[in-house]
Amino acid sequence: MKIDFILNDKPVSLVTEPMRRLLDVLREDFGLTGTKESCGEGECGACTVLLDDKPVTSCIVNLIHVQNKKVLTSEGISQKPLGKLLIDCFDETNAVQCGFCFPGFLVSSYYYLKSEGEPNLEKIRTALSGNICRCTGYQKIFDSVMMACKRKQEQEK
Amino acid sequence: MKKVRKFDAIPKLNGTYKFIDDYYKPDMLHGGFLYSKCHHGKIKKIKFPPNFNRDEFTIVSHHDILGENIVPEPEKDQPFMAETEVMHFGQVILGVAHQNRQILKKFIDGIEVIYEELPAITDIEECLSNEENAFGKTLEVKHSADIDIKNNLIHTKRVYRTPHQEQAYLETQGMMAVFYPNDNVIFVRGTMQCPYFVKSALDAIFGNSITKSIVETSEGIGGAFGGKEDFPNIIAGITALLAYKSGKPVKAVLDRADDILITTKRHPSWVEIESYTDPITNKLLKVKIDYRLDAGAYQTLSPVVLSRGVLHASSGYAIEDCYIKGRLFRSNTPSNGAFRGFGAPQALFAMESHIDNIAAQLDIDPYILRKKNVLKLGDEFPTTQPVIENNLYDCLEKVLENSNYHKKYRKFKEWNRNNKLKKGIGLSLGLHGGGYTGNGEKVLNSEIKMVIEKNADINIYVANTDMGQGAHTTLAQMVDETIGHPHSKTKVMLPNTDKSPDSGPTVASRTIYIVGNMLRNLIKEIKKQLRFNNLEEYVEKHQDDFPLEFHSHFKPDPQVIFDDKTCQGVAYKDYSWAACTIEITYDPLTYEISVDRCWNVLDVGETVNPEIARGQVEGGVVQAIGYGLSEFFYKKGFGRKYGFTDYTMPTSMDIPKIEIEFIHTDNSIPKGLGEIPMDYPAPALRNAFLNATGLQIDEIPLTPETILTNLGEK
Repeated sequence: MKIDFILNDKPVSLVTEPMRRLLDVLREDFGLTGTKESCGEGECGACTVLLDDKPVTSCIVNLIHVQNKKVLTSEGISQKPLGKLLIDCFDETNAVQCGFCFPGFLVSSYYYLKSEGEPNLEKIRTALSGNICRCTGYQKIFDSVMMACKRKQEQEK
Repeated sequence: MKKVRKFDAIPKLNGTYKFIDDYYKPDMLHGGFLYSKCHHGKIKKIKFPPNFNRDEFTIVSHHDILGENIVPEPEKDQPFMAETEVMHFGQVILGVAHQNRQILKKFIDGIEVIYEELPAITDIEECLSNEENAFGKTLEVKHSADIDIKNNLIHTKRVYRTPHQEQAYLETQGMMAVFYPNDNVIFVRGTMQCPYFVKSALDAIFGNSITKSIVETSEGIGGAFGGKEDFPNIIAGITALLAYKSGKPVKAVLDRADDILITTKRHPSWVEIESYTDPITNKLLKVKIDYRLDAGAYQTLSPVVLSRGVLHASSGYAIEDCYIKGRLFRSNTPSNGAFRGFGAPQALFAMESHIDNIAAQLDIDPYILRKKNVLKLGDEFPTTQPVIENNLYDCLEKVLENSNYHKKYRKFKEWNRNNKLKKGIGLSLGLHGGGYTGNGEKVLNSEIKMVIEKNADINIYVANTDMGQGAHTTLAQMVDETIGHPHSKTKVMLPNTDKSPDSGPTVASRTIYIVGNMLRNLIKEIKKQLRFNNLEEYVEKHQDDFPLEFHSHFKPDPQVIFDDKTCQGVAYKDYSWAACTIEITYDPLTYEISVDRCWNVLDVGETVNPEIARGQVEGGVVQAIGYGLSEFFYKKGFGRKYGFTDYTMPTSMDIPKIEIEFIHTDNSIPKGLGEIPMDYPAPALRNAFLNATGLQIDEIPLTPETILTNLGEK
């Protein structure tokens, strides 16, 4: 079946099995290996991407569901100004440990920063509750997102 | 002591850093494993699914092993693949490869194995309470004194239980193997902690049929926590056999369910402590500890875990008459292995809970008992090792001050009289010996290599991996700071057994403590030898001499003498110390505990990179809170399929505010750091629950189910 969608702001199309997992298509057909598989059941958030601007876990999204929609991955986000701002903050706080979950955290944080952006710890916690990190204990992730929210507010002033 | 950013943070964030599943090779096959679904039995027949063309698949069994079917490290008792008998659910029987991952999975799922079932021990309680299941060597530590057991002494005897814990590194285990027939060389890349363990596994499985094996880690290692210490040996060995037989590159990456079912976990424990305490002086006079671990079906790493457990079993207390006995118990479950803390979290859970149980019996604040008995200068460990500092006492006093313990201890009592929700504050001490136990580092004889290039760049060759703990950033920082470079010139190369000498495994909180200090000493020697102040200027003037290569071996301290047979002497040259308080709120209606605050005061010596050090403590504490509160595993009938849906680790919603202070950082050496934050929080949490409710529950995790069951028994 022919599937068309917008991937990281560029139109793409491919002929493939429509029930394949979006995660596999991103990794195998487009070489976008920033999207990681960890739990394979939509629980840990390592494979989070934005689908029409909303976060989804791509390991439980079949390709048919992205027909004519927009998909944004960590690779795409890292090219955007708010993505770069977040990466700077994660880097500055030395938040990253093994890093396997971080592309997923980048996507969820980007969604929060773009849609809400308030430097509020409770809201940030909730926004990131779909992403599991086993290394960091989350503290520095909160610090980084908080820092990015504040910097974004300053830029907008 | 300055802020240095991690070199790998940005590529990890933008997705360009390569983890094992991100490597592709043209012509590559995917590898998978058929494992036992029987706990113990004889393999009668293996039936392949009829609707597949078997010629499309490469299949290896123990018959294809060219060397020995025994994993050589650490204890030589586990086969790579089962032969005629399986000893546990999840034991690998076959390796299979195919070019399509989905077809491979369907084929493996379709294979049927017929077993003649044999009796099996799959119940942890049954395993650990029956002395007949003990196997391997018994360890004993004795610190004798003639203590007169008078009638007025407080006698306390209780059993403490801890469950399996899954490492749950976010990246599952995986390896890629390539066979080069022209050179007769096997190359393996993967996610691992110990490249030289994997190399010796390859040398064992191939014997003399290959000229050489080379092991290199993947660029990224997605967490390990001990889980990638010994199990990678099996995956690497079988994947390499598949590559050898098929003549094609093979990549085998486990899916989550398989990773949970077949790889190693933290040992469940059963620890009985019997003690006599003087109610007048609050002095612990006599303590007897029976420390038992469920090793699983094979010993593998368990004797080493047992030894560390026994050596940490009396926690941070001076006990004149102390007897500790440690034993391994056999069950028909996957072999348990390394997990951050390595026997110490089980030991400290028991002893730190026991202290609070004695305090409850004496009806005193548990702090008083700790203050009286904490190890101080002039005291001895049960091994007779002298205590040379008061740093644990300092941690204790500091954490009380930081958390305002005394005020809260009083305030919560008052609060609990008038409120439905109960509040509690709990205390625990922690200690962790850095590096290998006793003579271990001497035997390891670690080697490091350093190359100063023509442009004055310094390349470090060590076998220690960066699995997220930031070791390569910190090691490079130590070298840069010692040499006095104005900017970073040092890089730690990706560990490769053909280029990096064996600087020992990446375990036991030893990478910065042992290998980092070796690098520092080497660069000091080089500085003295070449007599330079500015390396860049020196290299420019002496261009013809470079690149220059330097090697160095571990220099053991002659003072460190330990008798492995009697467990007497210096078990660990340098201990890290910690004290912790945890504050909780308990809802007696739903039996739910929420962890509100956690204060940590640690002495880990010098903190080379304070932000990285904090990150280690924050992460360890959260893993320990999961251990104490929610991470629940099978207790009997192993084999149920688990995922992250039902193995519940802390999320961003479940964690307290974590406060950390490092003390005595003016120490000239960084001591062990990675493991200690996993060791002590679980008992502090349990003690906070006791403080809130008066209920002495001697097991974890404190899920609503555990609490309800214990209430029912009272």
